[in-house]
Amino acid sequence: MTAATGRRRYHPYFALRFMRRTLLLYLVPLVQVLFERDWAALSTALAQDAVLFCLLAAVSWVMLRASSWELDADGVLRLRWDLVVSFERTVQASQLAAVQIERPVAYRLAGASRVTLYPALLPKGRAVTLCLTRGDARRLADCLMPAPAEQHYHPAGGERLAFVLLGANSLSTLLLVWLALRQGDTAAEQMAWQQLGQAAAWAARWLPAGLAWALTVWTFLFGVSLLRSFGHTVRYAVWRGGGVLATRGGLLLQVERRFRLDRLTCAEVRLSPAARLLRCYPVYLTAGCYCADDPLFVYRAGQEELVRRLLPGFALPPRRPLSLRQARGRSPVFFAPAGACLGFFLLLLLEASWALPAAVPMLALPAVLCAVWLAFSLEGWFLEGAQPFGRRLTFVRQRRLSLRLVCVFTPAAALKITQTPWGVLRGRANLTFAYPGRLHETVRSIPLADADACAAFLERNDPYENSQDHPL
Amino acid sequence: MEHPFDLAASAVTPTPRGRAVLCVWVSLPGAVGAPFAFWQGAGWGFAFCAAWCALVFVVWARACSFVAALDERTLTLYLGVAFPVERVIPRHSITSALIFRTPLLRLAGACMLVIFTPGMWAVLPGIPLEAADAVSAALLAGEDAA
Repeated sequence: MTAATGRRRYHPYFALRFMRRTLLLYLVPLVQVLFERDWAALSTALAQDAVLFCLLAAVSWVMLRASSWELDADGVLRLRWDLVVSFERTVQASQLAAVQIERPVAYRLAGASRVTLYPALLPKGRAVTLCLTRGDARRLADCLMPAPAEQHYHPAGGERLAFVLLGANSLSTLLLVWLALRQGDTAAEQMAWQQLGQAAAWAARWLPAGLAWALTVWTFLFGVSLLRSFGHTVRYAVWRGGGVLATRGGLLLQVERRFRLDRLTCAEVRLSPAARLLRCYPVYLTAGCYCADDPLFVYRAGQEELVRRLLPGFALPPRRPLSLRQARGRSPVFFAPAGACLGFFLLLLLEASWALPAAVPMLALPAVLCAVWLAFSLEGWFLEGAQPFGRRLTFVRQRRLSLRLVCVFTPAAALKITQTPWGVLRGRANLTFAYPGRLHETVRSIPLADADACAAFLERNDPYENSQDHPL
Repeated sequence: MEHPFDLAASAVTPTPRGRAVLCVWVSLPGAVGAPFAFWQGAGWGFAFCAAWCALVFVVWARACSFVAALDERTLTLYLGVAFPVERVIPRHSITSALIFRTPLLRLAGACMLVIFTPGMWAVLPGIPLEAADAVSAALLAGEDAA
């Protein structure tokens, strides 16, 4: 039983979210003015924009007044709309896998929080996002997923440094930088490119021009992603209690996440090259339709007890490399992406070596990266596999440069075993795990006996056999 | 509750008439498209018909190999010979089941059973109606009824 909140309104930022989606509408009166350069009509167009703004502001205000939320004593969240038609969406606390509270700077200034509720059994697009006041958000999270702190973890010192390094993701930063440049003004964009050009010119004193540009852009992106990751780890804490695992932290974007342990889909440890060098391994969680790119926490080699303390029942899949004779029957699909890229760049290198020698260093860099990727694919060729371990299904999956060790928690995972005629002859199969939230993960070309063992495990074991709170 | 179909003793497979209905469904788009292929030339038309007949044959062959077996805790679906597929679905993860019949399926005494889980959905095509009833009742009754 939880404390009922009574009927509550959303924060005014709820209306602002609607108004943000209508920004393009303001361009409509301006289109003709801008295309025909009819500056005399500009004041009329601006007046029309002002009227449009007032109209949309009024609609937003009506939306804000017509919608409300309420949490009743049974832990059922009711989201209501009462204007002309009435409807009500109910969300049961017991059906939620995760709750996330985000507080960007703009929200903090206005005392607002963005709350996202992730249902356990629905696809990702069905997550519910609400704009609440800070107090309401905290009260709602405390009622839906109370998390009394029983086990604490604060990354500090070397662990925090490793957390910053391992949380940095240059690809997602590239996307964010690109979006920022697109949305920013032209002067700032030109200034950014000018600064980058100067840095590249400085690097070009020692390196060929193309390579200098590539390394400068990568260094810039990595620096930005390190800053992002550092911001994420400020005042970062993980704690567990009352069947809930929770994290909180962040500098510019404060994020708090809570996960119901009996609704976790899987946990994975990613062995990236950086993680292996630092001997600190990041742990990622998937819960229902929640699937984030940020690591939940990192642990040092030999501190597996910390993972089991925070994630009871977690089991690392055993890493037993196959012998050369056992691996020989595996599909060459492991080497296809890396091999194709390497072949392409080697061909370009060959062509450039006599047609454009100046471009050789520029092309050698991606070729070396592809060769490293191929080496990691070879590791996957020996290590990728799936098997039951203890009371869990576990599997090892190679993806790009990292090896992922996954422990499946959910009892609702379905399996799909597929074979090609070549696989039938060699006794190999692809095993696909279908998780709640329509998420899939495929382990490639494993022995058919291992795939059958996983299927038999589902028939033989019920992980929640003796549990009071069966998740389904 | 007693079911006329004995789940424990038999696996569920599509009936020959059910498979025929499936083949009719698959051949319908081909029948609609064939005149346009013949419009381009007789060679194109015959090639299109041959390709579509091969597709219908593949569907028929896969329907012939389809078997659904209900175990104590899982529902297992087997499909295909050259490209075999096995799906293992925990019974407690099945959230809903849908049985539907078209006039053709009703004439054939068969139906389609669609099973939904949080992570995937599966179709049991052209199976006898009593088998579909028994399977869906057993799946949705929970483990106590198994």
